[in-house]
Amino acid sequence: MAKSEYQKKIRDIYRFIEDNLYFNRPDFHIKGKRFNSTMLLTLLTGLIKGKELIIGEPGLGKTTSAEYVSSLLYQCPLGVIWGSEVPGHPEQTEEKIIGRPDLGKLNRGIEDVVWSNFTQLPVKIVDEINRLPETKQSMILDGVDRGHWEYLNEMIINEEYCLFATANYQDRGTNTIIAPLIDRFDIILESKHPGPNLSFMIGDNHKEHMLRNSVYEKKLEKILKSKDTYEKKLPQMEKICNEFGEYLRSELGIEAVNKDERQRISSDIRRLEFDLDASAFTIMLITELSFCHKYGQKRSHEGCEEGCHYTGYLCHEIKNCASNRLPSSIRSYSQAIAWFMDADEVDIEDVRTIVPYTIAHRIQWKEDHLMRKERNRRNDPLQLYLAKEVVNDVFHRYSEQKEEVKQALSTGFRILNGEELEPVNGDHPVYEEIKNDLISLGDVGDDERYG
Amino acid sequence: MKRGNEESITRALNEIWPRVKKKHLFPQIPTPVVGENDEAVAIEMKDKQIILNQRVCEKLAEEMPREDVIEALLDHGTSHYTYCPWDLSTHLFLYSETKQVIKDPEMVKRVTGYFMDIVGNTYCVKEKGTKIPELYKYLERQSHTFQRTELDKVISSLYQRIWGVNLDVSGYNDLSGRLSRIPYLDKDRWSKSIKSFARIIRPLLESEKEKTAGDGNSQNTMGDHGLSGYSEEEIEDGLREFAGKTGNPEEFKEMVSDFEDELKDLGFGETGGMGRGHGESIDADLLFYMKLAEHFNIPIQKIPMEKSGSMHPHSHTPWEVGRPFQDIDIWTSFGKIIPGITQVWNKREGEIFGEMEGTPDCIIVIDSSGSMVNPTKNLSYAVLGAGCASDAYLRSDSRVAVYNFSDAAAGGKQLLDFSRNRKEVYGTLCRYFGGGTNLKLKDLEVLRRKSKTDIFIITDMQITNLEKVIDYFSEIDNRVTAVYIGRHNRYAKRFEEATQKRKNIALYNVDKKEDIPSIVLGKIKEYFRMAS
Amino acid sequence: MKNPFVRFKDYESCKREIPLDGIIRSKDIVIDKLVAGYENIVEEEVKSLVWVVERSRLMETYSKAKEVISDLEYTAEDIEEFCYELDSNERLPYLITGPSGIYISALCNHAKETEITLKLNELKRKMHLIGYQLPEGKRLIVEGDMGNFIGTRLEGGELIIEGCVKDWVGAGMRKGKITVRKYAGYHTAEWMMDGEIWVEGKIRGIGKIINGKVYEMGKPANPSYSSSPSYEGYIR
Repeated sequence: MAKSEYQKKIRDIYRFIEDNLYFNRPDFHIKGKRFNSTMLLTLLTGLIKGKELIIGEPGLGKTTSAEYVSSLLYQCPLGVIWGSEVPGHPEQTEEKIIGRPDLGKLNRGIEDVVWSNFTQLPVKIVDEINRLPETKQSMILDGVDRGHWEYLNEMIINEEYCLFATANYQDRGTNTIIAPLIDRFDIILESKHPGPNLSFMIGDNHKEHMLRNSVYEKKLEKILKSKDTYEKKLPQMEKICNEFGEYLRSELGIEAVNKDERQRISSDIRRLEFDLDASAFTIMLITELSFCHKYGQKRSHEGCEEGCHYTGYLCHEIKNCASNRLPSSIRSYSQAIAWFMDADEVDIEDVRTIVPYTIAHRIQWKEDHLMRKERNRRNDPLQLYLAKEVVNDVFHRYSEQKEEVKQALSTGFRILNGEELEPVNGDHPVYEEIKNDLISLGDVGDDERYG
Repeated sequence: MKRGNEESITRALNEIWPRVKKKHLFPQIPTPVVGENDEAVAIEMKDKQIILNQRVCEKLAEEMPREDVIEALLDHGTSHYTYCPWDLSTHLFLYSETKQVIKDPEMVKRVTGYFMDIVGNTYCVKEKGTKIPELYKYLERQSHTFQRTELDKVISSLYQRIWGVNLDVSGYNDLSGRLSRIPYLDKDRWSKSIKSFARIIRPLLESEKEKTAGDGNSQNTMGDHGLSGYSEEEIEDGLREFAGKTGNPEEFKEMVSDFEDELKDLGFGETGGMGRGHGESIDADLLFYMKLAEHFNIPIQKIPMEKSGSMHPHSHTPWEVGRPFQDIDIWTSFGKIIPGITQVWNKREGEIFGEMEGTPDCIIVIDSSGSMVNPTKNLSYAVLGAGCASDAYLRSDSRVAVYNFSDAAAGGKQLLDFSRNRKEVYGTLCRYFGGGTNLKLKDLEVLRRKSKTDIFIITDMQITNLEKVIDYFSEIDNRVTAVYIGRHNRYAKRFEEATQKRKNIALYNVDKKEDIPSIVLGKIKEYFRMAS
Repeated sequence: MKNPFVRFKDYESCKREIPLDGIIRSKDIVIDKLVAGYENIVEEEVKSLVWVVERSRLMETYSKAKEVISDLEYTAEDIEEFCYELDSNERLPYLITGPSGIYISALCNHAKETEITLKLNELKRKMHLIGYQLPEGKRLIVEGDMGNFIGTRLEGGELIIEGCVKDWVGAGMRKGKITVRKYAGYHTAEWMMDGEIWVEGKIRGIGKIINGKVYEMGKPANPSYSSSPSYEGYIR
């Protein structure tokens, strides 16, 4: 299949869901095209094995958007997906989430594990993750991070997987998702109210039935519950999924994506390179999210110094430091959006559009900043609004200094390569960070490096 | 035919726009559109949308490839969103700097517009690779058609000099020589640059004004730069930033009055939370303090969580030999007592919400006697401080009543009953009476009895019936925050002595007026912590 | 370790040089030199709490100013911009009105142009001693109101002030012509040796004139030439 055929296929899926299943307003603009952020980013999450947190008011389609996308991307009947979902509540146990001992065998003194559908299916949906205790949240995110699930002494490895977790806004019945856990989500997005007109259309049809088929659901359930090893089950599951895919094509006229195609798409996405502006802008952004002139880097327990020269930058407004997961989230989602738009490389628009969704949940804002902005007129939840605003600010700084920043980075390369040059100076922390690298990486002999 | 032309320009526009967007690093503005008006203005900007004038585009396309015309116009328009002014705050900053040199608002608008054009165009020429020079060359060649003024020609002569391209303009060497010394692309020097620019072109503007006194019609071919180019959110932000930057109600008022028509078109000026809506003239004093107060925020402590004392099962952990049996969850242990399979409940103490205290309503008592600063003339820290305190209560969904007084006994007072309407609150805070200082406690008592309320009083303490005020505050059990402005005087000393044993009264002294916003806010923070 | 900047290895800036860059660069160099020269002049003067206008002090400061600027190349626009730099107080921490006026005068007197126009209408402060020792063959036009001692010891040049002047205009002028478009203050033409002073508005007071002519609103104003006693009212 030609390269752009895959994009067409994914766009068709997007259009199919938009026309038939999930009605919402476009709120995501890229390359002159308009999309609904929840649907588009959920599709991309499914393609790149991402981890997505969907927030929103109860009943506004947080879970359903993920269910529809998963069903079509993984050729999986909706009923099976429902059966694999983990509902978040405080009494949730490891046995219901991951697996349990085979009780028959256990009574005979044999340890064997019956794996949950959640662990066996590539699509993993956790409903209201913030209602789970932290230990359970951590357990799920650990499993998804590594792609393997352990119970007793047994383990299964998922070849492909993605996670969609939903969360209601903070209320009295919810636990918070603690910072180290929330950092593991690649992106956050809000499933918004579609407006009264679209909303009124939602009740028109029993749309979820479109993606249901009791025959394939039963067949898949049977395989999932069988005593075969997980490795043996995988080709059987794939066969049924392909049959369901064929059913979707013939009955609904929509082509779902099979495993080979998903793998091909994933590798195509990973191959896309960042252009220079996209790279330099990302570096500039990460600098502002991690830099501290006084203490070397941001640390949650260390505040800014009064009258710091870098008061006008993002580092001054935030408490915590960007984690190393952030660049990887930015990279993979920017590549995915560039791929989706059929581009040959990732440009600054891709990065700029994606970044707010990757940082909104990760940044811990200072109280002052939050209070200054919380009452502003906006269309997004506060965290996402703030993230979009700062990305805009950083972009402004970048567009003013782009040539100088790229020159500074290029000069950095040449200095480390042994040329006798002076590092470029400028009024942004990025120049400081380049110098820090030149000091720590430059002119180091092997003895010093390893000694 | 016209329709056909419009379609073909739109087609070309749609083809060129992605290229221009990429060149300018993908600005977040909507795809430009083609419109039509009879003016000789090539480009208009409305709510971040670039609108190309079809008639002018067609005229320009007679001598230049149409694609080049469109690209040049798009480069020009886009540079205003990506470089200068970038946002309304910068636009207003440039405007206010020019205002220091030229007083006539229309002239100031023109100077600001031309300056932003020069900066934007020069930025494109230097960094983007653009057809803008060709466009200007043609505009000059057809100067009559495009109603080019002498000032336009001077600017073209300047372009010729600073871009190093021949635009077929001759003369104006002295003016363009002076103008060419301005560092247009150095943002840090824009403040000085625009003033120099204004100084140099002022005589031209004045003579133009005399010439066009009859028809009053001097258009910038590349479009005017009004507020309509910005989105509503940007205008809100821009006004807030400008209020913070200037800190001067007179200057703010002048700016609002210069842009009054445009602001009214955008809905500022009537009742409503942010002073928005069509109708009467904009109360600039009120808008100034509302916008300035948005720079300062007072956090109010949330309702505290308390431990309930009872334990509830929270999560599971594996049971280990030696651990007590009573916490074993038999259901998840499948009836087995085997390490690794058997699980126990971890229990946690429950949290409940503490006794509901919430944030009470507040009566803001503000002194506007003759010894206080007139808030319409100079920055009044009393109004600002009171505004910030009001905002803190309003943000917590509480209500605010205002008692503005000078010589209340002689009628120098204005009362606002408990309200959640921010504009009404600021309207009452900004009222200035002058004259003596006498508080009518009966009025205060009427308000106090209406609600469980805090009292915030801001004054210089030179109140003629101070003893009565002290007695009154000593008798009530409401939380009172008293802030007095100015040096420590005998009245304040008396108040302090009389109230220091009262736990519900906190008195704060502000030595320097300049420190009031932060010090008052800091003190209020303490107050809230103490109180909640 | 991998070079973290490798992605930017082949980067070359696409920023192009335009004539504006050169103009600004060379202008900034000139202004920097003018500022440095001024700092040199006031280095000593700043130690005095009060700068008293004395003949010897004026001469001394002027000769130092001449020495400082002898190698500088500048234009009338540079002088004008320097005046605004002085006025803004951003780069120069102090403006000592006496030496600054002498320094500006020295700059005008030694500029290449024979006719210089300074548009100083927007200055927040009044400049003093402008036109000091303006030599023959030079024409200095100043737009805006000026301070004291304008055209002091004029040496034959033509000084035109497009505004008002304060006191001591033309004090000790040797020859040449001063025109003031609006009003002049007290001690106008004090110790004037020769030449002409034309004040198109009113003069608040005329000083002791040794020689030369003073005109007020187009009419002779020297007490000795006066045919009208009305001038007495202006002499304090």
